[in-house]
This record gives sequence, structure tokens and C-alpha cells, in this order.
Amino acid sequence: MWKTQSTGGARVEPAVKQFLPPCQLKCPINEDIQRTNVLMSLLPDDLESARDPIIQISEYLYDKNPFFNICGYICGLCELECNYKTRGGAIRRRLLKRFLSDVYTDYLRNKEEFNIIKDKENVAIIGGGPGGLMCAYILSKKGYKVTVFEATDRLGGALWLVPNYRLPRDVLQTTVDNLIRIAGIDVKFGFKVGEDKLTIEKLRNEGYRAIFLAKGTPYPRILTFDRKPVAGQDLSGVMYGHNLLYEVSHGNITPNYFKGKKVIVVGGGNVAFDVARTSKRLGGDVTVVCLECEDKTCKDGIPADEEEIEGAWEEGVSITYQRGVQKIIGKNGRFEAISSPKCVSVFDEHGFNPQFDCSDTVELKGDTLIITAGQSPDFAFLRKEDLLDGQGKLLVDPFTLQSLKRGYVFIGGDVRRIGFMVEAMKEGMTAADSIERFLRGLDMHEGRKRDYEAYGLPIRSAYKPEPEVVWVPPEQRMHFQIFEKGFTLQEAKDEAKRCLTCGPCLSCKACVSIGFEKSLYAVEVDEARCSGCSICTYVCNYDAAQLKHVEEKLISSTDMFKCKSCGMCVVACPSQARSLVADDTKRRIEAAIANL
Amino acid sequence: MKEKEPKVVCFSCRFGWGYLAKEEEIAAQVKNWIPIICTGKIDTTYILNAFRQGADGVLLLGCPEGDCHYQDGNIEARKRINLLYSVLESCGIESDRLRIYLATDPEGKTIPQLVGEMSDTISRLGPLRTHRARQDDFISAKKGKENGR
Repeated sequence: MWKTQSTGGARVEPAVKQFLPPCQLKCPINEDIQRTNVLMSLLPDDLESARDPIIQISEYLYDKNPFFNICGYICGLCELECNYKTRGGAIRRRLLKRFLSDVYTDYLRNKEEFNIIKDKENVAIIGGGPGGLMCAYILSKKGYKVTVFEATDRLGGALWLVPNYRLPRDVLQTTVDNLIRIAGIDVKFGFKVGEDKLTIEKLRNEGYRAIFLAKGTPYPRILTFDRKPVAGQDLSGVMYGHNLLYEVSHGNITPNYFKGKKVIVVGGGNVAFDVARTSKRLGGDVTVVCLECEDKTCKDGIPADEEEIEGAWEEGVSITYQRGVQKIIGKNGRFEAISSPKCVSVFDEHGFNPQFDCSDTVELKGDTLIITAGQSPDFAFLRKEDLLDGQGKLLVDPFTLQSLKRGYVFIGGDVRRIGFMVEAMKEGMTAADSIERFLRGLDMHEGRKRDYEAYGLPIRSAYKPEPEVVWVPPEQRMHFQIFEKGFTLQEAKDEAKRCLTCGPCLSCKACVSIGFEKSLYAVEVDEARCSGCSICTYVCNYDAAQLKHVEEKLISSTDMFKCKSCGMCVVACPSQARSLVADDTKRRIEAAIANL
Repeated sequence: MKEKEPKVVCFSCRFGWGYLAKEEEIAAQVKNWIPIICTGKIDTTYILNAFRQGADGVLLLGCPEGDCHYQDGNIEARKRINLLYSVLESCGIESDRLRIYLATDPEGKTIPQLVGEMSDTISRLGPLRTHRARQDDFISAKKGKENGR
């Protein structure tokens, strides 16, 4: 029967040199990707019998990452570093997780609450986005009494700005609602820290011994030209992308809001494309205007993901590359056009510093202008709380996330540095670790930094191409339902099987957990027998068998961090110098044939 | 009659065969069934020893091509088997007595069936035991050489 055992938990052992699969290294929270891929590849063939195993695998992921089912819709960072990338296409890990999510999200509704004894200090988390909730989840599981102060009436933060056609509302709502229930986190909705008398000091006086500030970036960045704000952003018909996405997610926008209107979206990031595709779905005739050029490989390439651009293009969004906004032209208080000069360079050696050729300026007419040029934190609040330096930058240790102004305050997530959801989650994890160290009086740095190296591509005779991702055709997807098709069970199994499992056994142990192996066996080389013929280095697919000089002699050795205990070298060795320590395979075979 | 039933030793890869079934259930149906982590781990001496100990046939069940958890264990095993055929032949062991089959069956339902089919084929060849002495000599001579190479 399909059952993982509790004994074989994956763990990453401390060592001088450590290897991880490149996907796990790329993932900011180092999810056990390989292990769960292996387990998924061994799922039963029918969905009915696969259900329990799917829940088991999901529970394993949930323990470390209570947002994994959301990652299954909107993340996929790990795929950028997959060793398969150059050999047929990265493993579609995101869709594999989405497959789990489609079963598990429903299960979450009835998942039992953790049995936690809350005997530790009170901790306040300001902001209920992925960073804040991740920190709350970890600390609550450790027995801290955690309270989340959320300014709005719902948890999830910026995740709500992801359009429903990419992340179904129900998945998000179910995940955050059950997260606080399962982990026993207290939430105060509508509490905007920084407003009225609710200050960090006050929270401290109320008995919160540590505070994690993860307020995100609640404000849109205003449009500038030549470092000065562009006039006319207050015209009727001009809005900010974030506000539009916020209102759409709250159901405040009618289905044909932009019908018959020409909409200009300014910006080249993923959010700009979310806004453009949302506006298109609201009936608009949409043009994206961005500073960057079409070629993503050049220094001024458009930052939005290729899939976003392709999706928008399919849906009929037009894109005007290498144009900026010099003036917003209005008539009688209404937006009418932008004056758009050619952008000749976006970045210089110091960073973002766009240069324009104003002799090449066009006027782009429209009914609505949506500015999506980034977002910014609540600087007024941060200044009032004295968390900034003279230049207006957060004074925070980037390694521990501890504020340099107030020791009991920790700051992370988008408020510190804008990033992907999982990067905010990582900051939540880091803050949780720091808060525990701070409250337990432990060293803030010791043992936290580890160096990892990514595993290389294992050698095999044939590699398989990636499966196609299927999108609902554009003419059928002009709504807010999810447009990307998920994997079927068989597709998920096949894709999981495609994984090269290139990481070390120590960080995986899937075979042990499912009872295929009793433990991971180390390869031992009998140096007296080894002739240094190097056949083992030739058969090893993982570059683990290597030759080394011992005194005058050349003999083989095994890098235990790379070895997968497959036994291929043992079989190949002509001098029987290699053996697997504690492996009982040979004994089992001998016993079996002795009784013939 | 029962004594004349051929003895087939069956090795099967855990990643491809019978992992969803209860091991005892397959073991009850297939005598001499040895699940192993990867067919690539099967040394030719294991196979030769099986024949030496009285096996009438050896069946290896590996993962389909391209599906090996250890990259190419199944392909290595197949290569090894193909090379072994000529050795067996020179010992007077018919190639039908050794077979490698690359496919997958998580439920393991076809394992008894495949062993049965192999058994039928071998029945037609008769027991290996009649040539035992000659083979013993040859195999030990061969093994001596192998160790010395």
C-alpha cells in the first residue's frame, strides 16, 4: 500500500560543502522539490486511490509552506534553474503543485487544527500578507501567542491583486482562512498600525515582546519624468493599476467597465500586464506603453514574464515598446492623451535612469490612462516610527531583518524589498527565526548561514521533452476564470517521473520514506583492491566516483554528497573493490537463491 | 509433476513494479521473487549464481526506457544481459532462460503472469539440472578468470 513512513524525513545536514538540487536552491524557502516529485511519480493510477497519497504529499509540503497550493498557481521560480532547462525544458513543478492544490485546497477546509501549547511570548505581526502570515505560522507552531494586525478586512495582502484568471479567489480565500484556524493565529482586522494612537510603542506596552513589520507596499508609485512628477495624474480618467486590481478583487467594478474605451497602461512589469489583461477582460481596447524594449535578453529588456506577454498578445493587447510619458494631456479635467517620447536607454550603471529622445515624440490618445509604474511602502509611517535613516532608507540588518533602531522590531517582505510572493515568505521565515533567537536570548547569527552548491546535470542516454502547457483559447477566456489547464493525474505522474532527481539523497530520502530502501548506503572503496582503472568514474552518472592520489597510487573514491547509492559502480568494478555499506541486497539475493 | 515445474528467479525494480501492492501478496504468488531498488544493481554474478544454485530461468523486470530513477540503470542492465547471453550460450544455457523486460506495473499484477510465461517457455526446454556438472565447471573457471582480469 502507498504509505510514507514518518522515519524518512528529508533534512539538510550541516556540512562544509553541501549540495542541493538547483530547483531547491533557487526556491527562496528551499522547498523539498525532488522528494515530492519522486513521491508524485509513484502515485496510484486512479484518482480515488491516489487521493490519500496526494494528501500525504501535500501535508508534507504544507508543514513547511502553508502557501504551497498558491505557489502552484503563481510561482514556479524553481523552474528557472531546473537542470532539465537545457535538455528539453524545465520540470513543470508549478503545475505539479497546482495538481496537488486542486485536491488539497478542498481538504484544507476540514483539516484538523494543530495541537499547540501556547506557552511562549506574545508576538505582534503587522500586515497579513504572505510575509506576515508565514512568520505568524512558524511562530505560532512553536508556541508563541501570535496576533496579526491587518489594516483591511481580509488576509492575503498583495496576493489579492493577482487577477482571478491566474489565481482563483476561492483558492486564496480558503488558504488564508484555514491557515489562521489551523495554526491558531489571532487576527485583528481593520487595525491599521500607524493610524490614530495605534503605534509600535503601544503594541510593545500592551505586552507584545517582539514585532514583525510586514506592511508591504500599499501605495502606487507616481509617474515621473526626468525625476519630476508628471502633471495631470489627478485628471479624471487617470488611475493607478494597483487601485484598479484592488477594486476588481473586491467586486467593485462592473463587467463591462471599459467597454468601448481606449485604455493606455503604462508599465512593463508583470503587474502592468495583469492590469492590461484585466482591462481587456473588462471590455477595453488596451495598449501597454513601456520604456523597455522587446528583446528580453538585452539590458533594457521588458521585465514582465514571457508568458504574460504572450498571453496578453494572444488576447489582443497591443504593446508599444520604448516609449515613455512626458506629459499627460487633458481637456476640461478629463484625460485625453499622453505625449510619449522615444526611450533610448532605461538602465545605466547606477540603475534605473531612463533617457529619452524628445525629438521623436508621439501623441497617444485614449479614454483611460492606468499607471502601473511600481509601488511603494508607507514612508510616512516608517518615518514617524523612526525606522529610517537620513536618506529615507530602512535601517535594518538584511541578514536578521532586525531593525537597527529598535531591537524588538523586525522588518521584512515587500516593505523592505519588493519581490515575489515566495521572497516575502522567506523574509517571514527569517524573521520568525530571528524573533525566536531574540526572545530566547540566543545569538542572532550563529549557524544561520550555509553555503550550498547546485547539483549538475546527471548523465543519461535520453532526455524527454517538456509537456505542453494548455491555455483556453483567447476567444474563450475573456472572463476571470482560470485559463490555464491543470495536469490530469496521469500527466502529473509522467511529469514528476521526468524529474532527473539530480539532488543528493540526503536532502530527499523519498525512497526511504516509501519503504524502498532501509537507509542511504555509503559506498566504501577497498583501497588495497582498487587498481585505479577508473571504470567507476565512467559508469557513475552523478560525478560522485572520482579518482584521487593516495601517496603514489591512483585510487577511486566517492563524494558522499553526490553519491546516490545506486550501486552502479559496485557492479561495474572489475576488482570488487567497491561495496555499499550495510546494504542487504546481496544477502537477500543469496538467501533467495540458496533455497531454490 | 510439481517437482518438474521450472524454477524461475525474478528480479524486479521497485520503482516500476508492484510498489502499490502488498509485497507479501506478490511473494505468495511468485516463488523466488526478489524486489530490488534498480535493475542496474544486478551483478552478472548474481544471475550466474542463480543458475548455479539450480534456477532454470532468470527474469529481470526493469523500468521502461527513459524512466529509470538512477538515470540509466535499466539500460545498463539490458546491456549486461545482452553481453551475458553469449557467455551463457557457451555454457550451453539457452538464451530463453534469461530475459529482461522493461515496462511498468505499479500494482504488480502482471508479475505472476510474466513469470508464468517464462516458466512455460522453459518447460519446453526442460530442466537445466541435466547439464549441471558441466556448467559448474565452466562457470567456476569463468569466474576465476573474471576475478583475475
